[in-house]
Parts: sequence; structure tokens; C-alpha cells
Amino acid sequence: MITLGSQGKNTFLDDVNVKSGANVLECYQCGKCVSTCPVSQYMDFPPREIMQMIKLGLRNECYMANSHWFCLTCSACSGRCPREIDIPAVMEAVRHLAIDQNYINDSKKVKEIRKFHEIFLDMIKRYGRNYELRMMAEFNIRTRNLFKDMHLAPKALLKGKIPLGVKPLKSAKAIKRMFAIAEKLEKNK
Amino acid sequence: MARVGVFVCFCGANIADYVDVPQVVEEVRRIRDVKYAVEYKYMCSDPGQGLIRDAIVQNKLTSIVVAACSPRMHEKTFRKALSDAGMNPYLLEVANIREHSSWVHQKDKKAATAKAMDLCRMAVAKSIANEQLHEISVPVTKRALVIGGGIAGIQAALDIADARIPVVLVEKSPSIGGKMAQLDETFPTLDCAQCILTPKMVDVASHPYIELIPYAEVLELQGFVGNYKVKIKKKASYVNFKTCTGCGACWQKCPVKVPNEYNMGIDKRKAIYTPFPQAVPNKPVIDAEHCTMLQKGKCGICAKVCLPGAIDYQMQDEIIEREIGAVVVATGYDMWDPTPYEEYGVGRFKDIITSLEFERMVSANGPTNGIPLRPSDGKVPKNVVFIKCVGSRDEAKGIEYCSKICCMYTTKHTILLHHKVHDSHAYVFYMDIRAAGKGYEEFVKKAQVDTGTTYLRGRVSKIYKKGDKLMVRGEDAQIGQVVEVEADLVVLATAVSAPKDNPELARLLGISYDKYGYLSEAHPKLRPVETAKAGIFLAGCTQAPKDIPETVSQASACAAKVCGLFAGDTMKKDPMVSTINNEYCSGCQNCVTVCPYGAIVTDDVPIGHGSKELRTVAKINEGVCQGCGSCVAICRSMAINLAGFTDPQIINEIVSI
Repeated sequence: MITLGSQGKNTFLDDVNVKSGANVLECYQCGKCVSTCPVSQYMDFPPREIMQMIKLGLRNECYMANSHWFCLTCSACSGRCPREIDIPAVMEAVRHLAIDQNYINDSKKVKEIRKFHEIFLDMIKRYGRNYELRMMAEFNIRTRNLFKDMHLAPKALLKGKIPLGVKPLKSAKAIKRMFAIAEKLEKNK
Repeated sequence: MARVGVFVCFCGANIADYVDVPQVVEEVRRIRDVKYAVEYKYMCSDPGQGLIRDAIVQNKLTSIVVAACSPRMHEKTFRKALSDAGMNPYLLEVANIREHSSWVHQKDKKAATAKAMDLCRMAVAKSIANEQLHEISVPVTKRALVIGGGIAGIQAALDIADARIPVVLVEKSPSIGGKMAQLDETFPTLDCAQCILTPKMVDVASHPYIELIPYAEVLELQGFVGNYKVKIKKKASYVNFKTCTGCGACWQKCPVKVPNEYNMGIDKRKAIYTPFPQAVPNKPVIDAEHCTMLQKGKCGICAKVCLPGAIDYQMQDEIIEREIGAVVVATGYDMWDPTPYEEYGVGRFKDIITSLEFERMVSANGPTNGIPLRPSDGKVPKNVVFIKCVGSRDEAKGIEYCSKICCMYTTKHTILLHHKVHDSHAYVFYMDIRAAGKGYEEFVKKAQVDTGTTYLRGRVSKIYKKGDKLMVRGEDAQIGQVVEVEADLVVLATAVSAPKDNPELARLLGISYDKYGYLSEAHPKLRPVETAKAGIFLAGCTQAPKDIPETVSQASACAAKVCGLFAGDTMKKDPMVSTINNEYCSGCQNCVTVCPYGAIVTDDVPIGHGSKELRTVAKINEGVCQGCGSCVAICRSMAINLAGFTDPQIINEIVSI
């Protein structure tokens, strides 16, 4: 059972609104986002319920849900939202707040997703762009599932979907600098 | 020798698909008196009517039968076609071969055709005995009675009076204003109810065409449309309004304190009182039930302090009689009593109040000067839970219908709460948010987004006490979990219910009411302001729950209807009324008892020609008679005939098949 009204002001709502730049109060629970979302059926709570939980100030429940990790930020939901709420930004905000406040969902799926995020960022940091082959290899090694999706590799290679090498971007240095600044900011927080 | 013309309609495919129309025409032509018969695709169309007009002139027809749809639909159309051709319109008969044949016998064309032929034969036979009839003219008393002085009654009275038609406005309580005078601000624009209502109240009091009778009730209504007589009981106020200056010395000195109805009993008023400072008329009345002087003969302080000497303890109820032509009923509504909701602790917990109590508290002229306070300890509440549909949409404990206004007034309450107590938070338990109206959905958005009201979708199951808080338990269906809200104050959005006196009033006026006690309109869509009784109209919540804009619209519609009724010096009426043959009437007066309209009275006539001895016979008041035929059926000596449905006409019909 959820008890409301005893904790005073709903600071969670304010945190999410400030971080995302959206106004969760705008949500009137129509559910169009849920039926639009390609991954809502895999989420603990579909986007509409996450919005309501934010409104009710259910911080822990929201952080521990896998919904914001599953969100692909594809923006199909916000594209169709009748109140024009930036739902991916809300998901992103919850994700950040959860990490900042050390609320980590430790289910296998979420762990994998987090690793995927880390490797992807690492690729960008190194090359300024994604290096698919290495990304896949690293992901399979770090998730200890070496032969995952391996049967697709020959076909994809033949079609040129996975280039064997990578050509670093000209602006790779600038991107590296961005990472450095971001890391510094993170440390000083 | 009769010359009947028969016109059979296809009604597009409505009749023609299921009735063999040419065969019907052929059959009808065989009847001796039929001199002309023809079919046409749409008889009601202009060429169709032209066909009738031409045939009347060319064939010298003496009566007309139109076999088409229900006479409710087009009888008037065809009557007009007859009179356009110079024929008495009442020589028309309509054979209803659509509703009574083609529509109900769609599976059997042969039988439908045979039935259509029978219906035509009957109509032809009846039409032969039709007589020329003429519309009845009834004189009109151009004065309207408005019952109820809430916003509906006020608006209707003002609109009628502005058309220079005198109005008698009767109000039950000492002041007009009704429920609207108790409201703080109104949705969705948040303009103050008092600010927009009091000018209208003052207009009523000063209008040269309005006679305001406050503190009064309607006792009796007699007569018929355009010619009613009303008896009004003016309750003794024990204050002479003519000499009273409204100074207020009496109620300041009165020692008796009584719960104040205007403030929902939150504070006290005196035994001599005006309901509220802006009351119209702004003159006090003595509440006889609580006045020590009137109950025990001791006290008399008010009389002592009254300088103009306006107090009169000997005053009696007064009966006022007025002649009027039309009535507007605007008796408003009652708030539903939430006592059956035991699981909410209604009556056990002090901090559960009704919406109207909350309304009085947030009102600037209310008992708490506009700040909501917990009744238990007088503290300002921080968390307030509003529960919608208390009584509404609840067949077990309350009423089946939606009360229509609660969604919006609760939305308003959450906004007002935020205005008055900035650090408060409002929670609303709801089943649906019904915000259909101009600016209403936007208003709900304002509450949800700008005010931050939390809406929880679910009906509250129980409320229990925890310390000095109330725990309100319900489901939030949006996340499928049970939630409990720790509340300082709970406000119940109680249902709108029909005034409890409505059934009695309806009987007295001779109009009908529904199972809830709301007065019934003549047609739910096309005649929403008229009652089934001619000349009686409905405005506001007495017909069904509605908000202020709708109430005002309906009141103005009533005024338009009244003005329309009074447009001429006389009113035209269908001549289908009963007539009594005095030769046959035995004076048994069975018809007097059976007449639902009170249209039959008794009369004394000489026993024989030139005789001085008198005997009693029945007499029909043509203005009142609605032509229902009850008296014809009950009459043992067959002295009564209903014009348009006389015995020869009916017998002809029966014999023809």
C-alpha cells in the first residue's frame, strides 16, 4: 500500500521536472504513449504509470523500475503525446537521478543495458563515432555471451552492414575534450 | 352524398418496400364514396400537397384521407393543405400505414398490405362522418407566476418583466438568491457568485413589473393555460416590511441563537434574522419556532429596540390570490445527505464536511472569513482530500444518475483551496472527470497543471482516524495500487437531489415528476422547458441537475415561451374537445371525477323548457379540455361526445372492417 500526504512537498516531481525540462503534471493519463512504445510490454511500469508515480512522488519505486532503462529514447511517445510532453526526457531524467542517488536496478537485463551504454560511450570517446564490430565483440565478451547473435555475422558482413575497420572522425579530438570536461564536472559535483 | 379523396404515400421506401401501394389505391377506389384516389412518392412534399389541393378543387371533394405516416408527424401539414384549398381542415383523416403497418410488418408484405387497406377503409368510413370544426379562442391573462427565487427564477422573472409582462415571484425563504447566493466563486471563470448575482437580485426588487412575494408558498393552482388562479400563502414574518428600515437593531439584541442555514450550520444566527447581508428584501423575519416571545410569551426585546415599531407578534399567515396566465417552476435542488456512507465515518468524524460547507468556508462572507478550518480543532488544513460521486452514480447508497456539477465544483474547490492556503495540497478521488462545457476542460487542466492537484482514479473504500488525521483509502487505478492519503480535512462532493417538496408541488400544479422527484419536461429533446400541462414551464435544477450557465439559458427559454404564449390577446386551441348533451346528462358527475384536467364542472339548468325548477348537469370548460376522451368512456347515458371522435365516426370505423 502507498501512503500519500505524509511526506510533505513532492520533491521528486520537482527534481524530474527541473532535470527533464518537461512538466509531468501535464500528463492526463490517456495511455497513448503506452500503446505507441515499442518496448512498453517489457517494462515493469509502462510510461503512463511512471508519469503517475512521479506525480504521486513514488521516488524509490520509480528508480527501481526497469522502465527508464528499457526506454530507447525513440521519441515515438512524445511525437504522439496530445499534451506534447517530452517523455524520453523524463525517462532520461529518472535514469540520471537514479544513478546520482545510487538506486540501481540490479536485474540481469538492466546490467546488460548499462554495459551497452558504457561500451557505446567508450566507442564515441575513442573514435568520435561508433565502431560496430568492436562494440559487438566487447559487448559479447563483457556480458559473457560470446556467441550471441553470431549467426547473423556472415550475412551482415557480406552486405557491408558491419565495416571491418573504423575511420576516426576529424573532430575526434574535440569530442575527447568534451568528455574530459564532462568528467571534470562530474567529479566536482 | 360524400365525395372522399384518398392520397396514399410511398414515404420513399418506408412504406412502398413493405406495402403494395398501387394495390391499396386500387382497393380503395372500389369503396362507394371514394371519388378520387392516387398514390405519390412523398405526400408531405410541396408537389404532394399540391396534388391534394388540386384534387379538392377539381373533384369537389367533401373529405380527405391521407394514408401516410403518424398524424403526430404531418397532420398539421395536411390540414394546412386543406385550408389552402378552401376546405375546413378538420375534414382530414390520417390513416397511419407507416408506423402501424409497413414498419411493424416488414417480414410479411401481403399482411402489411392487407392491414394498410383496412386502415384506409376505416379512415374513409370515419371521414364521411367528419364535421366542420373551428379552432377555439381562449382569452389570456397576461401575468406570469414564477415559483422559486434562485438564479433560475430570478432570470426568468427579469426576462419576462423586461418584456413588460407582470410577474409574480414567489420565494419560500426570506430572501431570493437561492443556492447561488451561498457560492463563493463560480467555475470556470472564477467570478464571484455574489458579485454577479446581487445586481440581479436588486433588479428584481426594483423592477416595476415584478411583484416579489418572499417567505411564501404556493397553495393551490386552478384553471387552465392563460387563465390560472393561484393561491399563495404568505407566511407571517412578524415584521411589517412597510415600516421596517432594515437597521439591524433587532437581530443585534435578540438573545436566541439558532444554527445558521445560510452557512450550513457552521455558525449561528438569531431568531430574528436576515439570511445574509445582501438579502433581498433586506428585511428581517422572526423564526417562530425558535422565538421565545412567540413560543413562551416572554422576551419582546426586538419590539422594544425597534424604533419604527415594525415588530408585530400578532401577525397571521396571509392568503394572496392572483390571476395568472403561465407558470415557471424553478424550485432548484437539495444537497444529498451523505449519512448512508458509514464507511466514510460521516457523522463520526468532525473533519469530514460536505462541498457546500466547504463552499461557505472559503467564501469571503462565510463563517470563517474565507479560510477553510478543521471543524475539530479550528486549524488550517494542509492536506485536503476531495471525494467525488458521493451519492451520485451509486445505486446501492445514493442515486443512479450523474449530478453533473460535482466534477467542476470540486475542480474549483481545489483551486480555491490553493488560493486560500498556499502550502496546501489537494487530492481528488474520482471515477471520471466530466468536463463538457465551454472552458471546462481547460479549467480542469488549470487545476491539474497549475495548481498541482493530485487526481487519483478510484472510489474511496473507507476513512479511518489515525491520531488527529484521517486516513483515506482508495485505489489509484492509474497504477493499479491501493493508496492511503493522510488528510487533515475531507470534503465530500455530495450529489444533487430533487427538492423534497417537488412531488407535492407537482401534484398541486397537476404536472408529472420522475422517480427521483425531478419535474418532467414534455419531451426530453424537443420540448425541454415545457411540461405536459400547457402554460407550465420548467427552469433550472428542478428538472434535472445542471450548472449555472445552463440554468440561466433554460430560464431565458422559459421567458421566451411565456412571451410567446402572451403574444396575442387570445390563444388558439384545437377544437377536439368534449361536448355535453344536456338532454341526456343525468348529472351523475362521474365525468367530473374522471377528468384528469379538472375541465368539467357542474351547472344548473331548467328541468324543461321555460321551467323554473333546476337540475344539475355537467359542463365542459373548453379551454381546459385536452380531448383525452375519459369522460366519453365513463358517461353512462352517452351524453358526451368528443369532437373529431364522435360516436357516428367511431361506429363507421368499426362497421367498415
